[in-house]
This record gives sequence, structure tokens and C-alpha cells, in this order.
Amino acid sequence: MGQSLIWYMKEFARLEWIKKFLFARTAPLVTPSYFRGFPEPTGKTCQHALFCMMACPAPGAIEVVHVGNGWMPRIHKGHCIRCGLCVEACPHGVLKSGRILETMEREGTSLLFSFRISIDPDLCMGCGNCPTACPVNKQVDAQLGAGGHSSNEEVIMRVLDGDVQVLHEEKCTGCKTCETSCPTRAIQIARILEGTQQPLQGSGP
Amino acid sequence: MKRTVDVNIPLGPIHPCFKEPVRLKCEAKGERIIGAELELGYMKKGIERIMKGRPWQEVMFLAERVCGICSVIHNMVFIEAMEQISGIAVPPRAAYLRVIVNELDRIQSHLLANFSYCYTIEHETLGMYLLDLREQVMDELERLTGARVTCAYMIPGGVRCDISRQDAENLLSAVDRIEQDLRRYVGMFSDGPMIALRSRGIGILTKEAAQRAHAVGPTARASGITFDCRLNHPTYRQLGFVPVARVDCDNYARIMIRFDEVAQSISLIRKCLQDLPKGVIRGGGVCKEGETRYSGEAPRGELTYFIRSDEYGRIVDIQIQTPSIMNIEACCHEMIIGVDSVADVTSTFISADPCVACTER
Repeated sequence: MGQSLIWYMKEFARLEWIKKFLFARTAPLVTPSYFRGFPEPTGKTCQHALFCMMACPAPGAIEVVHVGNGWMPRIHKGHCIRCGLCVEACPHGVLKSGRILETMEREGTSLLFSFRISIDPDLCMGCGNCPTACPVNKQVDAQLGAGGHSSNEEVIMRVLDGDVQVLHEEKCTGCKTCETSCPTRAIQIARILEGTQQPLQGSGP
Repeated sequence: MKRTVDVNIPLGPIHPCFKEPVRLKCEAKGERIIGAELELGYMKKGIERIMKGRPWQEVMFLAERVCGICSVIHNMVFIEAMEQISGIAVPPRAAYLRVIVNELDRIQSHLLANFSYCYTIEHETLGMYLLDLREQVMDELERLTGARVTCAYMIPGGVRCDISRQDAENLLSAVDRIEQDLRRYVGMFSDGPMIALRSRGIGILTKEAAQRAHAVGPTARASGITFDCRLNHPTYRQLGFVPVARVDCDNYARIMIRFDEVAQSISLIRKCLQDLPKGVIRGGGVCKEGETRYSGEAPRGELTYFIRSDEYGRIVDIQIQTPSIMNIEACCHEMIIGVDSVADVTSTFISADPCVACTER
């Protein structure tokens, strides 16, 4: 009994034990460098390509807004799922997240975007909202009326005989304005994404 | 036929041993279970409906979120189904990287399943050891893909990022460490007399019963059915994959087969890293119109995606068949009949590794 008491007293009087008892710390919370976090700006100027917004799988997580006299993507962190697709989709390297941007540059990978317009003829009622709302249409034909009628052949789409007619699909920038302005969800922008890689000089490990 | 039922015992939907809500209504005669009925539907998400009308880059992330434990395989099966529809070829390096990430995911899923079994039979020490081991596997997943659970690693025509030399070395040393620890924990499980009392000879699922109930995955392989969807996968065939099986048919066999598969996954990862081909990781390719049915081996068994897409590669119709529903049915209708006490009902149910999030989607 006495011996074990002495043993205990000795054990507690050890300097290391006292040090450990007084200054015990849990492991610090460090975010590893490879963790794919929220996208952050790299400082490069945004060219208003809108690809980040188009690639984003989470609704309303990223939008490109006017800041000063330029554009800048703004991340809504409550909606962002940290997938990193916006970083990969941006052709100008405006955003970064974890190691995605540097590995992309090293490996020469990129995502190619193309946009196609699909209109469901059963749902379309020819209201003319989409040709009027389209920002490319506005640039091409400033005279475009509220009904979506136009005599200009260069517009992306126009209303003809009570139906929307798509003329120049290739001019579409994929901004989805027509999609949001459509009351019946008849018009949909197909965002076709393709992962590609340029042939490398010296690849991998 | 009229049966004498002494008492009906409902287990769940809220139960300390169940990770997800499910209700088991057991009919007991004395303490012996003579029948059980299952009630699902507490966490329906309707994720297949949300997927419709979306392109692959959105559905890929939704598919991962079907199940939080086996997210990589959902991504892999969906992407490979889209590749089958569109005729996209995968570069060999990307195919090997896919196998590495998939096997890491399988390891963590099996370790979690075995943790919850150990937790259910009140061997929390071993359970916590296994969770700690799982955390190391999760770190490796994060190092490779950038995220622990929702990795989003595969895209049509390849993978998202390459493995660097430093990462490959780290992964090899981590795998060695994991194997060393695993050997100790498997020893603890297989030699523990108390564990054997709770596991051996309990929850028998014979080969015939497993075939009758359409059990899949480790549950079927513990009953001596040597079927594995990885046998049909071209990359696994190149790696010379042979499924493991056991014939004990009880809870013990179902846990041990998962340990066996973890060891097998580790050797697969080593083999992949050893003969990792050089070259590109993305071949390009656009998703097209078509319809297909594609199966892959999830940690819990056969996972099937049925997909129909339109000319722009958007999903028109999608149906997911997950492995857990078969295993849960096998558990309720075959395994827990004749179990000696209610305490064994929970452990038998957990040993089948039910994933309710997958089942109800």
C-alpha cells in the first residue's frame, strides 16, 4: 500500500508528466494544401466568359458580377459544393482551389464547352420572351420587338409563325437568360462539356 | 397457417445500432425470432427525378450523393455507363487511376461496415481502431482527389487529375502501414473468444437461401457464391482479379470476408501503382444519345445504372438499382429467422451491411 502510494507520488512529480498535464494540446487543425476548398480569385482579370457559371452543378453557387469597371465571379458559399469545376472550366485562370489549377497547368488538361439550344415544340407558345431577353440578340438587332419578331437573319433566334426558330446556334454564349425567362421551360440550353488533355512532353511519375 | 407469436418486437427507426432509419418488426416466440418484416421509406430523397434533364457534369455530383459511404463507385458506374452510350475510350493510365481510387473507397467502406459490426457487438475498442484506420484511407483519398467523400474523380474519357510521383510514394507507404495495422486488427477479431461467441454460427445464410434471396456482394460471397462484377470489368481483368469467398455463411464469415477484401484491395492498389502505364489521363469525347444498362461492383454488391440520354448528352431517364435492397431482404427473410435473441438481430442485420441511403435514394 505504502509502496504504491510512493510510486504514485513519484509518477505525478515527474517533470514530463506535469508538463504534459499543464500544456496538453490537441493536434492543430490544418487544412492540407491538396484540399479542394472554396474557389478563390487568383488576381487575374475576369474576361466575362461565364464558363464558371455554366459549368457549376450547384444552382446559384457562382455568378459573375460587375465590380468597379470589370467583372468578377462571386461565390455563394452556402450553395457551393466545392467540386472545383469552375476552376477547370475557366479559360483564363481566374479562380483557384486546392491543387486543381497547378495540376491543370502541369498536365495540360482543360474542359471544352459548347452550347446547343433545344426547344420543346409542345411546350413553346411563341411568347417571344427568349429572343427579347437574349443579350446577343440585343447586340445584333437593336430593333428586336417585344414579340420577338425580327427581319434580321443574324439573330440567334426569332419568333416566326408563332414558334421560336433557331437560326445561329453557334453564337450562343450559354448565359441561360432565355432559360430563366421562359415561362413554360420549353427552351433549354444544353451545356456540353468535354474533358481534354494536350499531349505532354514528359508525363507522370 | 396460424403461428403462435409471443410478442412483436419493433426495432428502429431510431435505434443506437442502426446508422440509418429503418424499421424491423420481429415476431418472437419466447426469445427466438420466427419472422421479421421490414419497413423502409424514412429517408426517400427522389434523387433520380432530380437527375432528369441534366447533363453529365451535374448528374455526376448527384450520383455521388446517392450514398455517402460508397460515393466513388456511384460516380464510376454512372460515368462508365455514359461512356458505353457514347463510345468514349478511356486511356489506360486513367483506367488504372480509377481502379486505385475505387479500391481505396472500397477499403474505407468495408472498414466502416466492420466498425459498425464491432460497435453493435459492443467491442468498441476494435471498432475505434478500425475507424482510425479508415481515417488514414480517407486521407489518401483526399490526397489523390482533393476531397474525402465526394471525390468527383472520374469524368467521361478519363479522370480529373493525375497522380504525382510524390503522391504515389505516399500512397505506397500508407498502404504498407494500413496493411500492417490491419493484420493486427484481423488477428484481434479472428482470435477473440467473445467475438466468436457473438458471431460464429449466428445469422446463417446458406448458399441456397442466398440464391433464393438474390444476395449480392460480400454477403453472397460469405455464403460461398463466387460472383463479383469486377470480373466483367476490363481493367480488373488485366490486373488478374480473382474474387475471394468463404463458406461459413455466418456473421463471422461476413465480417472476415470484408477483411479479406480489404487485403485484396491493398494488393490491387500495389499492382496498379507498379504497372501504371504512362500517357494521357483524358481522351476527350462528347456524351451522345443512347440507352444502356451498366453494372459495377460496389462495396456492398452489384450496382446497376439504367440510363437513357438525349442527343445533347442530357439524362432523359435514369434508374438506379443498388445492392443493399437485396441484402436487406436476404437478412430479414433468411438470416434472422431462428436467431436466438433480440441482441443477435441487430448484429446480424448490421453484418449484412445495410445502406438505407442507397436503398431509398
